[in-house]
Amino acid sequence: MGLALLLALALGALGWRLVDLQVIRHEELSALARSNTRRVLVREPRRGEIRDIRGNLLATTLPVFTVCCDPTLLGDRHTEMARVLAPLLKTNETFLIGKLKPRVVRQADNGEPVFDKHVVLKHKVRVEEWARIQSALTNQSFGFASAKPTRAERTQLLNLRHKAIFTEDDQLRVYPSQALAAHVLGYVGAGDDGEMIGVEGIERLFNSKLNGVRGWLATEKDRRGRELVSLRHQDVEPRDGLNVVLTIDAGLQHIVESELIEAMKKHTPVSVSATVVRPRTGEIMAMATLPNFDPNQPGAFPADSRRNRVVMDQHEPGSTFKIVVVSGALNDRTVSLADRFDCEHGRFIYAGRALSDHESYGMLSVESIITKSSNIGAAKVGIKMGEPSLYKYIHDFGFGQRTGIQIPGEISGTVHPLSRWNKLSISRIPMGHEMDATPLQMVMAMSAIANQGRLMRPAIVSRLEDAEGRVASEFRPETIRQVISAEAARQMVTALKTVVSPEGTAVKAKLDLYTVAGKTGTAQKAGHGGYLPGKYFSSFIGFFPADKPELCISVVFDEPKVGGYYGGQTAAPVFKNIAERAANYLNIPPERHVSAIVPAGKLHAKISGGSAVR
Amino acid sequence: MAANRKIQSAAVRFGPLLKAFLLCLLLGGSGIGFVWQKQQIHQLGLQIKQLETTLAGHRAANRQRADTLAYQRSPRALDARVRELNLGLMPPRPENILRLSEPSSAAVTQRAEPPSPPSGGALARK
Repeated sequence: MGLALLLALALGALGWRLVDLQVIRHEELSALARSNTRRVLVREPRRGEIRDIRGNLLATTLPVFTVCCDPTLLGDRHTEMARVLAPLLKTNETFLIGKLKPRVVRQADNGEPVFDKHVVLKHKVRVEEWARIQSALTNQSFGFASAKPTRAERTQLLNLRHKAIFTEDDQLRVYPSQALAAHVLGYVGAGDDGEMIGVEGIERLFNSKLNGVRGWLATEKDRRGRELVSLRHQDVEPRDGLNVVLTIDAGLQHIVESELIEAMKKHTPVSVSATVVRPRTGEIMAMATLPNFDPNQPGAFPADSRRNRVVMDQHEPGSTFKIVVVSGALNDRTVSLADRFDCEHGRFIYAGRALSDHESYGMLSVESIITKSSNIGAAKVGIKMGEPSLYKYIHDFGFGQRTGIQIPGEISGTVHPLSRWNKLSISRIPMGHEMDATPLQMVMAMSAIANQGRLMRPAIVSRLEDAEGRVASEFRPETIRQVISAEAARQMVTALKTVVSPEGTAVKAKLDLYTVAGKTGTAQKAGHGGYLPGKYFSSFIGFFPADKPELCISVVFDEPKVGGYYGGQTAAPVFKNIAERAANYLNIPPERHVSAIVPAGKLHAKISGGSAVR
Repeated sequence: MAANRKIQSAAVRFGPLLKAFLLCLLLGGSGIGFVWQKQQIHQLGLQIKQLETTLAGHRAANRQRADTLAYQRSPRALDARVRELNLGLMPPRPENILRLSEPSSAAVTQRAEPPSPPSGGALARK
């Protein structure tokens, strides 16, 4: 009887346990069972590439690993493990031992203390480095020297070799051309959840397009952690980011940057910038600023080096701005190229203040005002034109407003409204004082003259395309406005051609095979409390071939210290070097015959089995 | 009685035995087939996973090589290589380029026409 009762009680207890497990705690236990096997893995998209107009890779993404460790699987072998890993991970052994020791942490959800099973040892480990680590671990004995290890020793060895150190997928942004076009490309940083975020340049502006869309994988794993592919519930592929194709030409960019490096050595300025534009379309073919930086390691360079001065710096443009006032006056027919102005022999008193020229000039035609870069002449043209008209052309040429280039951080420059102009303004603004412009605004204004008076929106991105090369979005040339008539632009080109003549200010910008039109500029640098003595911005902006322009090039020096400070002395030779190499690289047909620069009989060409002499 | 003699109750009845055997075979075969199929699915799953891993590895290697190629083709790397090999390579100068001007369409048409017979030919026919 007693036994029967005992059995009944036992059976009842078992029955109760069954009900408890299967009915009362059903939800909780089934969720626990699911959590043991089910996994939802996020599938990161690949960040899109940045390419130049010829398809050369400028920025790409490589798959890398984050190397992690589960210290609970190391046992007492963390010192041995640190000794193996330290040289491979290029870290300090003592630091690594500290990381590999088991540590108690509190769980985020319920605060229970548990051993930390996920310690990050190193981020951004390349695939081949991880292969070396795996190989080294597989061949290590970790101090287990006995020929016949026990079962426990075998398990620990297996853990040490294959389980304790593991990886997680990660991505690394790589710029194969290093500092080339660094200010245009920008660089990336890490977001809150570890994803790449563009910090500057194209990387920042097109971050959402480059990033792509995450996918996910809902699946189950077996006891050994292997995925059970047949039990995949959801498999959503990530959508990779779009590739950004720039209008930049890497070859031309290299030409510009190498010439700027030479100029930097020769004149030791604070900085030097250059921009190459195709005037017909407004496409930026090269944009460079020195000092620059390597976007692979942006943190290793000072913030000043990372600033794109072409769009983020503004200063008084100086005499290059005379193109605006003279173009406007020609367009309004206020003056003609042949009209003559008295340049007062270098000293002109206006509104009680003296205005001077760098040389003494008497009567000069409008064309000669440009050729000689006479401040007094330009001021007199401006005065004849009138304030409202001058202000209109300043606005129409795009000053005081952003150009709209696809680079973040562009500033608008400073143009005071007419209501804030004083009596002197009309005599100072025509020579590029009392207002600030970015180098990009200046080169676009010059490009408008080269482009028959049409101001184009500067473009640096040609198109967005997917990995297969299908175009997702295309950026076509955009005309902002017709600033001056084609006839006024033609007259202006005629005047600008004389600047590189022996009588002009930029004879060093003259090209042997092409006609150049351009303008020099030298502006005193402003600081706190006025102009800084001995500190100048010097520049040259020119285009060629003058009557059918292919390229417009701007070169701007900030504080050249050696070899003169005039634009004609510093920037003009750099323009010439860039223009000659660019014309050669782009195969722009020369306007003049080659014999103009090479003595007769010296030209040899070898053609299939013979030679020709011109 | 004759009919009873014909029915030999002690004899083995093959019909039901065969049916039972076939039923067992069917059930056993289904069971084995189910397990075999599950095993195949598992094996194929493992193979798929392995192939996916291999594919990912190839893609990674491909990207790595594309990066290496891009680096080697970058203007700076090419310049450095030219200097290192000391080959004296440089871009062609304008005087090194022989430019052939395209003939005008009139000149091409004229050249394509057959030459007119010499004036002496007509005299000869006479």
